Amino acid sequence: MRRILSSVTDGRGFDILLVSITMIFLLALSGMPLVYNVVMSFQEVDMFNLNTFSRPYAGLENYREVVSQPEFGLILKNTAFFVFGSIAGQFVLGFALAMFFMMRFPFAATIRGVFLVSWVMPGLVVGALWGWILAGDFGVLNAILKGIGVIDSTMFWKSDPRLSIWAVTIANIWLGLAFNMMLLSVGLAAIPRDLYEAAELDGANGWHRFTTMTLPMMRSTIGAVLALGLIYTLQQFDLFPAITEGGPANSSNVAQYWAWQYSFLLFDFAKGATVSVMMLGFVLIASIVYVWSTRHEVRG
Amino acid sequence: MTLAMKTKLLAGAALSAMAVAGPLVAQEEVTITVWSIDGANQVGPSDTFSAEFDEMDNGINVEYRILQFDEIVNETLRAYATGNAPDIVSLDNPDFALFSSRGAFLDITEMAEESDVINAEAYFEGPLNSVSWDGKLYGVGKYTDTIGVFYNKDMFEEAGIENPPQTWAEFEEYARMLAKPDEGVYGATLSARGNEEGTFQFLPVIQMSGGGYDSVNTEGAREWLSMVKGMIDDGVMSQDVLSLGQWDSTGTFNSGNAAMAISGPWEIDRMVEDADFEWGVTLLPTFEEGAERSSALGGFNLGIMSTTEHPEEAFEVLEYFVSQDHRLFPEFGYLPTRGDVELPQSGIEEKDAALAVFQEQLQYAQPRGPHPEWQKISKAIYDAEQAALTGQMTPDEALSQAQSTIDGILN
Repeated sequence: MRRILSSVTDGRGFDILLVSITMIFLLALSGMPLVYNVVMSFQEVDMFNLNTFSRPYAGLENYREVVSQPEFGLILKNTAFFVFGSIAGQFVLGFALAMFFMMRFPFAATIRGVFLVSWVMPGLVVGALWGWILAGDFGVLNAILKGIGVIDSTMFWKSDPRLSIWAVTIANIWLGLAFNMMLLSVGLAAIPRDLYEAAELDGANGWHRFTTMTLPMMRSTIGAVLALGLIYTLQQFDLFPAITEGGPANSSNVAQYWAWQYSFLLFDFAKGATVSVMMLGFVLIASIVYVWSTRHEVRG
Repeated sequence: MTLAMKTKLLAGAALSAMAVAGPLVAQEEVTITVWSIDGANQVGPSDTFSAEFDEMDNGINVEYRILQFDEIVNETLRAYATGNAPDIVSLDNPDFALFSSRGAFLDITEMAEESDVINAEAYFEGPLNSVSWDGKLYGVGKYTDTIGVFYNKDMFEEAGIENPPQTWAEFEEYARMLAKPDEGVYGATLSARGNEEGTFQFLPVIQMSGGGYDSVNTEGAREWLSMVKGMIDDGVMSQDVLSLGQWDSTGTFNSGNAAMAISGPWEIDRMVEDADFEWGVTLLPTFEEGAERSSALGGFNLGIMSTTEHPEEAFEVLEYFVSQDHRLFPEFGYLPTRGDVELPQSGIEEKDAALAVFQEQLQYAQPRGPHPEWQKISKAIYDAEQAALTGQMTPDEALSQAQSTIDGILN
């Protein structure tokens, strides 16, 4: 008895206890909904069998129909544009800002903190703000661009199919910029200063120092930032209803908003689940690539 | 029997009497829950009438819940699926068939026949169709609305145009005459937004050119899309009509940035306040003079959910709402869905004139659907409108794609 007790408080039993608690937690709160979602994508679902499990089996019919929608290709393209555009923009600008704030000038840390405002704000608020900034006839951005003479006709950011995907991507870059900057700043701060001093003495110029020292030593941070960026970007939903509603004519529609439209606008819950399962597959592939690309690193 | 025993017995009897009476009293107090969007932005009929009925000492309490426009269908679906549905719910008329076609609304045909208050024959055809399914009555219209063309009389006079447009050709001609791109004034505005509002304004065009939601690719619809696209391309109409809702789109008219606006009677009160120019309303144009008219049918319906435990009490609440229809216009600015309610004059000349036009327009208003999968049909229609107006497809391509989507839903 005592042995069992002591093993629970200390030793193998305790390990098993900890593992089982986390596993139960994961299975109940993440696994179940995930499986439920996958199951739903193979069923016929309507409002009258929404709360039961036993629904007619639909096979791959939902998948076939989703793929054969005329907007499927466009939405795929938009999702890719939004994800890679957002990540690239957030990362490059975030890195530049992080490097900038590593220069020791007065109030650098404070000002860097203020940048976090964009990250703290709820997506819907950010969406509403950018909705006003990007408005066509009375938008702030158009007024500025016209004022400094960059454009002379109105740019309809929200209504022009060539610009609408840019509108949401720009807003999302702004939203995620501070988060990228913060994570990258932490990574930069971890690189010992004296390394740079030694390199400088050896005659390495700024570009050399950046490509041969900063980048390699930031590798794991960069990997984490990009992976998180991918996840957050695929989760980004609030900006779409607030700015373009995926329009006009699906020109700014992305997979996550499409899934929502299916479930909660058209009440076709099975197709909504189908689209999200497809996204899940995509994220899984991206995660595998991420784990594979960082496999050489020693992790504690 | 001792005195003590007698007292005990009496006390026991009294206690048991109370125990029996208790639930009886509780049973008489019935609570009816009502869900609606009224009260979300401004005071409306359902919240007002619910509170009034709740105040009455008749053994029926009314619990009222405000929902947002975007979520009321979802909430009701979820509540119905989990067995927590309200007793009475008020839905936008095209959403009604989603529920009535599946028996989620209570069939009130017989109750209405016996009722002294609710008389199905008094209702306008459009609203009545939207609460009917398979020849049975599942609810009543709460209020209705439709669309017409608001026009800025000052601008018309300045440009020397005497009458508001009666045909789409005139609509375009006048809009082109009235547009002043240098001053930021557009010739006309409307809503071609990618949601129900887009369909609301575009479907009448299809209908008046001989089509309907089941056959959308009409010659008139193609012409109309080309016309509007031309106006957008030439800056006569803002490209933002593709993303603005009706309320925002008409806002540009009120501030003098558009000479004409397609919108409905819900704008009247705000226009009386905001517009510092003379304005008027005319019927939605037609393709030829004297050709077939059509317009959108808007407005909400009331229905009793079939899961209610108190159908009779819920019907009493419904009867009370209907009995207050004469207050809809004077107090809330809404048009009743029946022809036997007198609308008093407001004394505001522009408002009364606009009201007369909208009442005439209502005779031509046609419902969207009813169809249980209306949301999908509607998406096909507004997607086609947007695809054509952005130039992604020709009007013919866009409308025939919509047609094949709709055929897939209908068959």
